[in-house]
Amino acid sequence: MGNLTGKVALITGSGDGMGRAHALLMAERGADVVVNDIDGAKAEETAAAVRKLGRRVQVEICDVADVAAVKGMVGAGIKSLGRIDILVNNAGFGRRLQTLDIDEREFDLMFGVHVKGSFFCAQSVIPGMKERRWGKIVNISSIWGMTAAAVSPHYCAAKAALLGATKAWAKELAPWNIHVNAVAPGGVKSGGPLKFYTPEQLRARESHVPLQRYCEPREIAYAVAFLASPEADFITGQVLSPNGGETIVGF
Amino acid sequence: MTDRNASLAGTVAWITGSGRGMGRAHALVLAERGADIVINDVLKDEAEETAAAVKKLGRRVVLSHADVSDVAAVKKTAADAIAALGKIDILVNNAGIGQHKPLDELSEVDYDRMFAIHVKGAFFCAQSVIPGMKERRWGKIVNIASIWAMTGAGINKASHYCAAKAALLGLTKAWAKEFAPWNIHVNAVSPGGVLTEMPIKIQGWDKIREKEKKVPLGRWAKPEEISDTVAFLASHEADFITGQMISPNGGETIVGY
Repeated sequence: MGNLTGKVALITGSGDGMGRAHALLMAERGADVVVNDIDGAKAEETAAAVRKLGRRVQVEICDVADVAAVKGMVGAGIKSLGRIDILVNNAGFGRRLQTLDIDEREFDLMFGVHVKGSFFCAQSVIPGMKERRWGKIVNISSIWGMTAAAVSPHYCAAKAALLGATKAWAKELAPWNIHVNAVAPGGVKSGGPLKFYTPEQLRARESHVPLQRYCEPREIAYAVAFLASPEADFITGQVLSPNGGETIVGF
Repeated sequence: MTDRNASLAGTVAWITGSGRGMGRAHALVLAERGADIVINDVLKDEAEETAAAVKKLGRRVVLSHADVSDVAAVKKTAADAIAALGKIDILVNNAGIGQHKPLDELSEVDYDRMFAIHVKGAFFCAQSVIPGMKERRWGKIVNIASIWAMTGAGINKASHYCAAKAALLGLTKAWAKEFAPWNIHVNAVSPGGVLTEMPIKIQGWDKIREKEKKVPLGRWAKPEEISDTVAFLASHEADFITGQMISPNGGETIVGY
């Protein structure tokens, strides 16, 4: 049992990587989970692991950029698990492209998944949260949402947009005791970094982080689970960046 | 590691200003999660009360009445605590004072006292615990700043307080970088409105109720809610978090990047 006992969490993109880590940690702490991914086989793997922890699962295979599908997913999740108390907008992807190489389709895809997807997932879960006067939305941004990089400008801008939505929703939804925060991970040994870098390149990158390492997905999940718990009920509109000291911003 | 979240079993935490208010709440919440506690406050009776409450939770306690602005007393507190409890893994720089005065009324004495307690105190407490943390290659420093470090105090007129709390954010970031090679993590917590004895006494409930209405969540926090954030940052769960600030403030202060 844990401090998420009795809660239901919808975690987008939880078929693998960080999303799966969020699903498993929240399940360990007592939450039932709506597992969402575009990859059905991976989503089922996460679902099996959540069930093994004794928690209930609803698997929803859909692209979060598809608004109708998102509404269907939330409807099915609520029907099956009773409610959604926690939304983790985690679904996303990276793409190493320069500005001149990004066509309209690529642009729309990037903003569709990260921003539009998060937007309508939030819109779909909010009515129930308002009724119960408690809810948690955790948007997964990135240190690149704060600092940007010399590549992937559309990714940086989409992750920055999530910070904007975080702060706006925190203010808009505060009257219903709904708390909205962002987690902006630095280097994580999952997804992009493992795909884009050779082991040597990864070690070189790690050497530039003050703590000299990238983290495991579970270390990001700890931050997400904290913000999703009643322990963070006075925290809203904030950004927590587990990044090993790589990005330390001013106020 | 699927025990209760943010476990502090086997650690020792030094919490300055832990005789009452938020500091006492930090001591109790960290003790509940398994930490032995160095209780430090110039208020003797209050410190004794906190000590008794921590002991009741089954944790070991070292008690110090040192004024954190007294560098020699700080060093002695650290040495005594290490002798008694074996080590200090976690330092919470919480000791502080409030004073509402406009700039033209602030004396040099006011100024020196504000910076001595908040900044000099935090500085030499950290200096005293770092050697052991370096040896063990793990340590946590949590500096208690304030939303006013980010925003200033407006009509409350406490520019020396705001500047001292901002200095703590500067130290947080500098130390995060300086001590990262030894796996020592340094972060800040910047509380918004908290229902401790101090504001209740100084401002009164009517004024606090007015202020709570201006917070998006419509309320101030209980001290324990700030402690949950401190405990999270002090735990292994936050081992990849350093140089950061978390501000539990009910949405009152939302800053840009």
